[in-house]
Amino acid sequence: MSFPSFNLLAQSILSGIFIGGLYGLIGLGLGLTWGLLRQINLAHFGLVFLAAYLSYHMATVWHVDPFLTLLILPPLFFLMGAGMQWVLARFQISPFNSLLVTFGITVVIESCIQAVWTADYRRLETHYNDMKFTVGSLYIPVPELVTLVLSVSIAVLIWAGMRYTDLGKALRAMAEDGQIAAAFGINQKGMSLMLAGVCAALAAVAGICLALTFTLTPSQIFAWIGVIFAAVMLGGLGSAIGPLVAGIIIGVSEAITMAVASPSWAPIVSFSLLILMLLLRPGKI
Amino acid sequence: MNKTVIGILTAGATLASVPWLGLPAFYESFLYLICHWMILALSWNILSGYSGYFSFGHGAFFGVGMYTSAGLAANLNWPFLWTLPAAALMAALLGLTLGAVVFRVKAVRGELFALLTLAITFVVGTIVLNTRIDGGPGISLNSTPVPALGPTASASIYLMALAAAVLTLLIAYKVQSSKLGTGLFAIHDDEDVAEVMGVPTFRYKLLAFGLSSALAGLAGGIHALFVSYVTAGETFTIVVPLTVVLMSVLGGTRHWAGPAVGATVITCLLYFFTAGNSPVAGKAAVGVILVVVILFMPNGILGFFFKRRAATQGLVAEATSALALAKEQAHAAVEESGPAVHRAPAPLVGPQILLDVRDLSKAFKGVQALDKVSLQVHEGEILGLLGPNGSGKSTFINVVSGHYPTSGGSIIFSGQQLAGLPAHRIAQAGIARTYQIPRPFAHMTVLQNVALVAMFGGAALNHQQATEEAWTWLEFTGLQDKANALPDDLNLHQRKFLELTRALASRPRLVLLDEVLSGLTPGEINEAIELIRKIRERGATIVFVEHVMRAVMALADRVAVLNHGKLIAIGSAHDVMRNAEVVSAYLGTPHA
Amino acid sequence: MSCAMLKSSVLTWEHRMLEVNNILVNYGAAPALWGVSLEVKTGEMVCVVGPNGAGKTTLINAIAGMHRVRGGTLSFNGSDITQLEAHRFCEAGIAIVPEGRRLFTQMTVYDNLELGSFIAPAKAKRKESLEYVLSLFPALKVKLQSPAGALSGGQQQMVAIGRALMARPGLLLMDEPSLGLAPAIVLDMFGAIRQINAQGTSVLLVEQNVAMAMALAHRAYVMEEGHIVAEGLASELLTRPEIQKAYLGLDVPV
Repeated sequence: MSFPSFNLLAQSILSGIFIGGLYGLIGLGLGLTWGLLRQINLAHFGLVFLAAYLSYHMATVWHVDPFLTLLILPPLFFLMGAGMQWVLARFQISPFNSLLVTFGITVVIESCIQAVWTADYRRLETHYNDMKFTVGSLYIPVPELVTLVLSVSIAVLIWAGMRYTDLGKALRAMAEDGQIAAAFGINQKGMSLMLAGVCAALAAVAGICLALTFTLTPSQIFAWIGVIFAAVMLGGLGSAIGPLVAGIIIGVSEAITMAVASPSWAPIVSFSLLILMLLLRPGKI
Repeated sequence: MNKTVIGILTAGATLASVPWLGLPAFYESFLYLICHWMILALSWNILSGYSGYFSFGHGAFFGVGMYTSAGLAANLNWPFLWTLPAAALMAALLGLTLGAVVFRVKAVRGELFALLTLAITFVVGTIVLNTRIDGGPGISLNSTPVPALGPTASASIYLMALAAAVLTLLIAYKVQSSKLGTGLFAIHDDEDVAEVMGVPTFRYKLLAFGLSSALAGLAGGIHALFVSYVTAGETFTIVVPLTVVLMSVLGGTRHWAGPAVGATVITCLLYFFTAGNSPVAGKAAVGVILVVVILFMPNGILGFFFKRRAATQGLVAEATSALALAKEQAHAAVEESGPAVHRAPAPLVGPQILLDVRDLSKAFKGVQALDKVSLQVHEGEILGLLGPNGSGKSTFINVVSGHYPTSGGSIIFSGQQLAGLPAHRIAQAGIARTYQIPRPFAHMTVLQNVALVAMFGGAALNHQQATEEAWTWLEFTGLQDKANALPDDLNLHQRKFLELTRALASRPRLVLLDEVLSGLTPGEINEAIELIRKIRERGATIVFVEHVMRAVMALADRVAVLNHGKLIAIGSAHDVMRNAEVVSAYLGTPHA
Repeated sequence: MSCAMLKSSVLTWEHRMLEVNNILVNYGAAPALWGVSLEVKTGEMVCVVGPNGAGKTTLINAIAGMHRVRGGTLSFNGSDITQLEAHRFCEAGIAIVPEGRRLFTQMTVYDNLELGSFIAPAKAKRKESLEYVLSLFPALKVKLQSPAGALSGGQQQMVAIGRALMARPGLLLMDEPSLGLAPAIVLDMFGAIRQINAQGTSVLLVEQNVAMAMALAHRAYVMEEGHIVAEGLASELLTRPEIQKAYLGLDVPV
């Protein structure tokens, strides 16, 4: 373990912040459905990767600008998400069973991805990849920056919506006491469909950002599950900004660990935090 | 030895002959894989399927076992067979340590337990990868001599796995049919109620976790030799736990053989697809199956078939010899002397004090539910506990039975201090209770619900005796026709009576009834009043919370009234109900 | 304003606003209410009393749409609402102050009140409604931004009533509003309820505090073990033997 130079450390912290932003963006949809609908939707990961591969495909094969895909994919995924929720709602499954069913769905999605795009590594190469800003001796790559900006703005937008709009308040009320919320006119079924759709759209955005910043391979889907769960649980279920903050904390701690020790120690950070959280403050979940 | 055990051993012996049949080595590998997954799925099910604590950490125990064997065999040159018990032991140690910590935290159940165990897997994996245990390149067992159990190396490995699978099947079967298994199933349905009924929940969960992890470690150890090159990245992932969950859920988690069925089906399915050159389609099929099974067959294949069989044969008592015998014996017993409850001079109230409560207090987040309540219950008496809504009556029962810990004061029962004891010890001391909203164990039949309490409560009978005792009590309360029904099939009246029967089956000295009569029709209330009288005649002391005033008037020797957590009056029913403070507590004070 | 004055004031009580006809409501598989019929006329305050377990909360919840009615009919202002979906009861004109308040504790008092006026017709009049609520309960003015869970029992009750009023209902359902509150606060609260009724909102009140309830209401029903055992004018009912028997188990000769 050698202590790195200040420059290297600063760059590490910066990349930690960037990846933390992505963690937060992916975790946002997961946390919202878990906190507000009491469903653990592992299929969220499948959707994220599906969107990533689709945007890769659209950019590489159809030559659509990746940022344009931001306008096309989210609405499509909104419909998919609402549709899945509609089907699942008919079965009234427990939160735990929702974990298992959505895992099954994710496996199916992963297999479809593998069937179409094979297990080879896929990298979305665009002219954006080479663009970066320089601040002092630090590099700030554009795709990562865009991801962070999107992540923060969406989180803030959703937070504000939940806090200040009627719809947001209705959602929170529904999560706390669905029966009484209904007694005041809040349509639980409709709200759930809408929320599921929005979270799927968020997954699409996260997927596009993922494609811009990472190399894709189908088995990666499961590698991310652990760290995103850590971010969501640490940040608080149903919170918009929580997972983002937690994600950045995790990202930065991982980056520092990687710089100071070795990259393979990184996972221990998020998971240890998760374990401690579960043991010491399980009530907070 | 019973039929099932013989069946398992025979099947094992038959399969053990495969290596000598001259088949291509492929068959041994295939059968090895089936055995391998069987061990993993069956062992997982012992904790997670039976008790409902779904663990996603099976990969950690498997990995620990694998690395223990690999390390000992390759680096320290232990003879391979000796590494296997070591592998099981190390995995069990991890499991027991984890369990000792996690099971004490009441709130970590369900999804949280699953995530915690998943996190442990990654932490252990990272530690293994980064320290000298692995260090990065993995461990190779290429030069480890394979114990010569069979004609070839692959045959020997297969035979080891087969032996381990047979062992696991036997253990899974034994656990399910033992007291441990019954306790675990009760924990699955309602852990808090199980504890109050006398099941030592912490001990049982720990035991199951230890067994489960040990067997997974064993599977890991054998697997190390099979793959002959062990790496952390492949081992400590989410794949093992998820596959194991799928196999168990598919086969049926409530039956000891369920995971074995699931493991066989999935392994064959995956193989079929891999052989047909479409492994991806295979994976997709597995995903689809999981979805379909959870949605339509939540009890798995075995659960589905057993339910259908039960439905077509009607809800008739299974004519096992044990049950028929129990019925006969029970009839004889009832005719002679009635169910044996603790005898006391019946029906008059004795002078001894059975329950002595002093300054009992209970606070919840700022609300003082019980405020220094002191009262004494005499042996053989029926004490009514009354008070308006929110006065603390149910809290009193919850605290005395151990469902909630006290915030102060003492509870002395027949000379023994109960405050601070875990609920299952209080049950074993001779106190039983009913729940205001019935909380039966939903997946057990009426008979099993009652028998469980006879096994774990004050009476502490064995399986056979408990079933007989249960039968007796069901006849006493009139539920014998519903003995094999599930609680969901009962109406409210029957469910309340089930609560009552359950309370009696442990032969308690003190019975705490929490609004047993609410929701019953007037006719049913009359029946219940008669029943409660009979219970006292057989020697039990009764404290009951009630709102149905005519029942209170008819039954209670004395009445105690609570208001805002304090005891405001105690004495004969007629005197107390005319007490001015009591009247205003109930009716309120008018304001002109 | 004394009780006597209220009862002798001139009101036309011809129009039946709420008609509950012979309903059957189950709790799980078993019946919780059977053969229950009652009515509330426009502008009336009706109370339902009875011991615990009698089914009062089940009745109120059924009328609010929170519990399915298996037999019989519910009609409100002439239309049959028996099979209406749960979230449509509010727009029909029925609002509930549930047992135990059931506020959205994680949200502010202001948010809770706003949510009361979630439905479109109420939302249009949100500002007026809020002023009305604050005039009834001035103590809430300083608490608007506090999380609802942090308030005292009495204040929470005020918020619960206010939330229901924000829906601008024709019929206000109240389930044991005095539960767990200190006597002085109960007095104030009943005063507010009296005012609300005087302004024209019909009230169906379930109460444990019999004496108080009878002092407020025009008519009353007594429930025991799932059905109605007595009904009549509130002033007469308090001395009836059915109440003495239902609550205290005493067979008291009148």
